Amino acid sequence: MPPLDKRIKKFLKDSIRIAPKISGKGELSELRTGLVSQYPQTRKDAIKKTIQQMTLGKDVSSLFPDVLKNIATIDVEQKKLVYLYVMNYAETHPELCILAVNTFITDAQDPNPLIRCMAIRTMSMIRVDKILEYIETPLRRTLHDDNAYVRKTAVICVAKLFQLNKDLCVELGVVEDLVNALDDSNPLVIANATAALIEIHNMDMDAVDLSSLIQSHVSQFLLALNECTEWARIIILGTLSEYSAKDSLEAQDIIDRVTAHLQHVNPAVVLATIKVIVRNLPQIEYSSNSLIMKRLSSAFVSLMSTPPEMQYVALKNIRIILEKYPELLTKELRIFYVKFNDPLYVKLEKIDILVRLVDPSNLKQCTLLLTELKEYAMEYEPEFVSRAIQALSQLGIKYAQESFVSKVLDILLELLERQDTIKDDCCISLCDLLRHCPGNDKMAKQVCAVFNTWSNPEVLLQSDIAKCNYVWLLGQHPNNFSDLESKINIFIENFVQEEALTQMSLLMTIVRLHATLTGSMLQSVLELATQQTHELDVRDMAMMYWRCLSMPNNESLVNDLCQNKLPMISNTLEKFSPEVLEKLLMELGTISSIYFKPDSNRRKGKKYVQNIVKGKHIEELESMAKNEISSKANDDVLLDFDERDDVTNTNAGMLNTSTTLGDLDDLFDFGPSEDATQINTNDTKAVQGLKELKLGGDSNGISSGGKNNPDVSGGNIVSQDLLDLF
Amino acid sequence: MGNIFSSMFDKLWGSNKELRILILGLDGAGKTTILYRLQIGEVVTTKPTIGFNVETLSYKNLKLNVWDLGGQTSIRPYWRCYYADTAAVIFVVDSTDKDRMSTASKELHLMLQEEELQDAALLVFANKQDQPGALSASEVSKELNLVELKDRSWSIVASSAIKGEGITEGLDWLIDVIKEEQL
Ligand SMILES: Nc1nc2c(ncn2[C@@H]2O[C@H](COP(=O)(O)OP(=O)(O)OP(=O)(O)O)[C@@H](O)[C@H]2O)c(=O)[nH]1
Ligand SMILES: [Mg+2]
Repeated sequence: MPPLDKRIKKFLKDSIRIAPKISGKGELSELRTGLVSQYPQTRKDAIKKTIQQMTLGKDVSSLFPDVLKNIATIDVEQKKLVYLYVMNYAETHPELCILAVNTFITDAQDPNPLIRCMAIRTMSMIRVDKILEYIETPLRRTLHDDNAYVRKTAVICVAKLFQLNKDLCVELGVVEDLVNALDDSNPLVIANATAALIEIHNMDMDAVDLSSLIQSHVSQFLLALNECTEWARIIILGTLSEYSAKDSLEAQDIIDRVTAHLQHVNPAVVLATIKVIVRNLPQIEYSSNSLIMKRLSSAFVSLMSTPPEMQYVALKNIRIILEKYPELLTKELRIFYVKFNDPLYVKLEKIDILVRLVDPSNLKQCTLLLTELKEYAMEYEPEFVSRAIQALSQLGIKYAQESFVSKVLDILLELLERQDTIKDDCCISLCDLLRHCPGNDKMAKQVCAVFNTWSNPEVLLQSDIAKCNYVWLLGQHPNNFSDLESKINIFIENFVQEEALTQMSLLMTIVRLHATLTGSMLQSVLELATQQTHELDVRDMAMMYWRCLSMPNNESLVNDLCQNKLPMISNTLEKFSPEVLEKLLMELGTISSIYFKPDSNRRKGKKYVQNIVKGKHIEELESMAKNEISSKANDDVLLDFDERDDVTNTNAGMLNTSTTLGDLDDLFDFGPSEDATQINTNDTKAVQGLKELKLGGDSNGISSGGKNNPDVSGGNIVSQDLLDLF
Repeated sequence: MGNIFSSMFDKLWGSNKELRILILGLDGAGKTTILYRLQIGEVVTTKPTIGFNVETLSYKNLKLNVWDLGGQTSIRPYWRCYYADTAAVIFVVDSTDKDRMSTASKELHLMLQEEELQDAALLVFANKQDQPGALSASEVSKELNLVELKDRSWSIVASSAIKGEGITEGLDWLIDVIKEEQL
């Protein structure tokens, strides 16, 4: 027995109830003692401190077993903390994770539903095979839990499990449980089960027959809709929009039952509702002033008072819907007027909508918009101004009447006087207007008179498209320009530096005017265009001209070439092709609606990497890399000692490239390579030309989402002339 | 004198200290069954423990923090994570599992060599005595080479977790030893 005083000391130490404090330093040894302290409060503090260190990025993984010891507690907060820690390090310490399995399983039967949820949720999130092996019992139990909150968590876990280990998920047959959950009594469970099924379907379309499930559960969805949370509502509405009603009665019923959600405060709910309605509209009878159209219209109006990011999404979606239902928002034009504090991206979209929305039979509205656009064009943001100028010509052409067009023309000419930087845009817009009124010599004279004063158009005009238009105008109205030859000569001198459109336009203008120009000009442009350009189209075109011109008895052919008139432009607003439009209408509110590109992979069953249990891939790569490096390095030792480092480096470099290649491959697997193939298969001259035009437009920053009207003219010029040749 | 003192204080404040006790042994020996027998006095249906169970129980005015660790081969290496601050080890042996007596013995001695367990008392349950053909406590003791143990309070008790026999006797002995040594 130790002496009495020592024993008293020890006893007192043990009896003091104050738990030792953990300092803020976060030293591992201190934390470790704290974690296994006999005082609960100290242990909890130590866990908190440990997690604090963890979030700061310090490696506290060596404390894993000690932290884990604290997982068995009735203190929910402490349990949560430990779970958090386990989740974070599970992937790096899969072997230690096994110690947590029993606790997960026990917790999944805890009397406290919160703990049951936490257990199953954490367990299905840990990307470690060893853990997933034991998930069956707790998952099944929680899927059939008495508590709806637990069930709704468990159904999501099935989707997670599917993502982590599809084979296991199929083996356990829990996907069937998900399907059964669609008939659950609780709307949240239904919503989550739906979400989980959709997710699984997106990973592997063979796993569930989603469309027939939707088909058979429409009434459940409609019932659940009113009682669930926003998030669930969005999912259910999204699912409903995949459903095609059997008849007009059902379509009307669906519309009636979702319409109330158009007034929801959450814009995502509103958009999802709009999607369902738009989906069902074609099936019911409605007129442009029917109640449903008014409701839709006011829903959009309400979306325009959301934060700018939402407005942007709304505007993009409006753009799509307008194409199908152009009359939808005509009365609400003013809502889309640009506000001074709108961000640029919203302003640009608004202009686009404005021109589309305006009713061309309503002179008052058009005139108001004209003044509005003119204001915009006098602002200072270059992209905005440029878009406004484009919109002016779009508006003019949309209204169609020459007197109105002439008003627009005056505005554009007035703007032209104000500033040098907008010459490109004005030039393009003016030429578009002229192409809309081909017979109107007065307008042509007005425009040419202004252009005629430019002594150095090749400097004033910056973009390829603008130059192309200018040169085209020279060819169309040669008599309105003084000193035509020198104007053309400037461009001939610069021919090699010019881009494809200008080159093409120049070639055509000179051929057109060759009878009146000095002979050498034709000769030099044909030579330049056949020998000095990299543009295949320009070259081919020049070859063909050359041949035509040197054919015997070619008068009528040459005449056709030179006299040919372009068709009138009657619309400069880009339209979707009918198929694309239908697809986009189905994908409202998704990312496709922002890019106006239907998701080509949708419902085609793209497969994600099936098993993303972490570690494997990187490890494999790493060991491959190591092997390769070491083998190469060894080889080299035999040959030459000095270069060893170098070679290892190069090897490493090579490996890097191969990984990059792998990455690229991955990208191609996922990314729709459709764009590329389209261009390849349609590699005709016109398309090529259009493509170039697009590029030019983009670099100029004009064609944000929209397009540049000269696309049409350029393309037409090319194809028209080609046709004329044969 | 000291005994009187400490028991007096004990009565005044009660012992605030929790005693850590580990239940170890090969898989299927009956560790989990014993833990819950102690805690709720019933036989529960068990599954192999992947990881651990921990329960706090009050026994004779003492708070016991009892850890039952899984006994599968893959989990045994992690027993050591739990050795620190351990007052006593309860080692459970399936007395009918003659083939694995040597394995049990090896694991037991390996564990007792650990520095952190030098002061821990050892209670061995020769479990599953209700089964026909079960080795007796002294036979198990021989198989496990318990006589070789030096400088340690140890005892072996024949038990049946299913019938509830021997468990409290064993624990009574253990608590007495701990009280004597620690207080
Ligand atoms: N007949 C009999 N069976 C017992 C006794 N004790 C436990 N068992 C049974 O032995 C089996 C294993 O018991 P557990 O308590 O799970 O064993 P364990 O030591 O916890 O096993 P692990 O967790 O894998 O390490 C169970 O089927 C128990 O019912 C006993 O005293 N007699
Ligand atoms: Mg067990």
